[in-house]
Amino acid sequence: MTLADFYNRLNVDKSLAKITGYNPYYQTINSGLTGRMLVNGREMIDLASNNYLGLASDSRVIQAAIEGIHTYGVSLCGTPIATGYIDLYQRLEERLSRFVGLEDTVIFPSCYQANNGLFACVAGPQDLIVVDRLVHSSLIQGIKSSGSKIRPYLHNNFEHLEGILQKSRDFRQVFVVTESVFSTEGSIAPFKEILQLCDKYGALPIIDDSHGIGVLGNSGRGILEEQMIEGYRGIYTASLGKGLANAGGMISGDKKLIDYLKYYCSHLVYSTALTPAVLAGINAVLDIIYSEFGDIKRRLVAHQRQIYEALLEGGFNVVSGEAPINSIQTGSRETTFILAKKLYEEGILSTSFIEPAVPSNQGRVRLIASAGLSQETIDEAIRIIQKIGFL
Amino acid sequence: MESRVISTIQSVLDKRPIITLESRLIEDLLVDSLDKLMILSALEDEFAITISEDDFADIFTVNDMVEKLKEVI
Repeated sequence: MTLADFYNRLNVDKSLAKITGYNPYYQTINSGLTGRMLVNGREMIDLASNNYLGLASDSRVIQAAIEGIHTYGVSLCGTPIATGYIDLYQRLEERLSRFVGLEDTVIFPSCYQANNGLFACVAGPQDLIVVDRLVHSSLIQGIKSSGSKIRPYLHNNFEHLEGILQKSRDFRQVFVVTESVFSTEGSIAPFKEILQLCDKYGALPIIDDSHGIGVLGNSGRGILEEQMIEGYRGIYTASLGKGLANAGGMISGDKKLIDYLKYYCSHLVYSTALTPAVLAGINAVLDIIYSEFGDIKRRLVAHQRQIYEALLEGGFNVVSGEAPINSIQTGSRETTFILAKKLYEEGILSTSFIEPAVPSNQGRVRLIASAGLSQETIDEAIRIIQKIGFL
Repeated sequence: MESRVISTIQSVLDKRPIITLESRLIEDLLVDSLDKLMILSALEDEFAITISEDDFADIFTVNDMVEKLKEVI
């Protein structure tokens, strides 16, 4: 085996981009998320980012991040267990716990790391993990790393889940894993009903609320508020880089769990802590959510509905879930890239999903219309969508 | 056994074409790794057995799955 042999193995298959004349991945962005973003030097409408509330470029959030840097510098150059656990970090964990209504929280450098690290810490080969067929890769990879037996259930299919739980008696612990909002579909899990099943069969629920926190519920507190779930004793994870418009991830739950993760979860213990600017930025976003969520949510919902109706008029096969996501069912990989290319050529940046991010031949083009977009921008997006649909 | 295997696979694969013994798992039925796990789990329930995933690592068609099951049952 020579060095050349090694590098010859590392081939990225870019044939799809060649066939369709478009590669939606690693586009160069030359601006922040201001509604009209610069992509490869060209002004475009952002229907791709997860900036649901439109706060990623909010002046108050930027100012808070600057003040965070002034107070603490750009980094503490250490892991949370060493020098990275500044008082701002600790206060934000406490605040996030209160926000989602759970006892304790630990903040991770990303939600991918949180989901990836969680399972190996709390589960092992004696356990069973029952997981929705469509959960995010971070959960699947984390689950696989635990060595537990894995049984996927059909997406949001209550009967299939119960059938599996009925037959799963001989394990040390059974976990049931789902997301709140399935971001490629826009569907929301019937989590309250899933919890009833967990109670019935003694299973421990784990929910990833990455696309729900800051978005769902009357005051933006996520899936638990949305479905009026009180006294939740399972495990809760979420991204801080979507509705909360910054970066990082969190795990919340009982204090005993969080203490354990703080010492034994290597994805946390061996990663440099989130930076002061990000921690301060999240704090500022929470301030805004507490005071303005009602108005922001109304804009978000209105934008989603307007884009949805335009897609229907344009003849697209669109899934309308309860989440502020419009997901166009495109089928094959080629069709997915071609639609994303048409949108791009007309000035809309979208997100393309092909396998393995979604099941084979179930490609999606996702459009998220942030609450921060102006009505003028939404109107233009509608014109473009209708024009493409009628082509 | 063949019909039980086919109907078990059908129960966990929605939106797929008709399944026959000759169906190739990846090319015809678009089975990915999670689908395969769902199929193996459903077969465990159907035949009241425990399946080792490693035993089913090199199967390509539904018929391969039937033959492998005959070995372990």
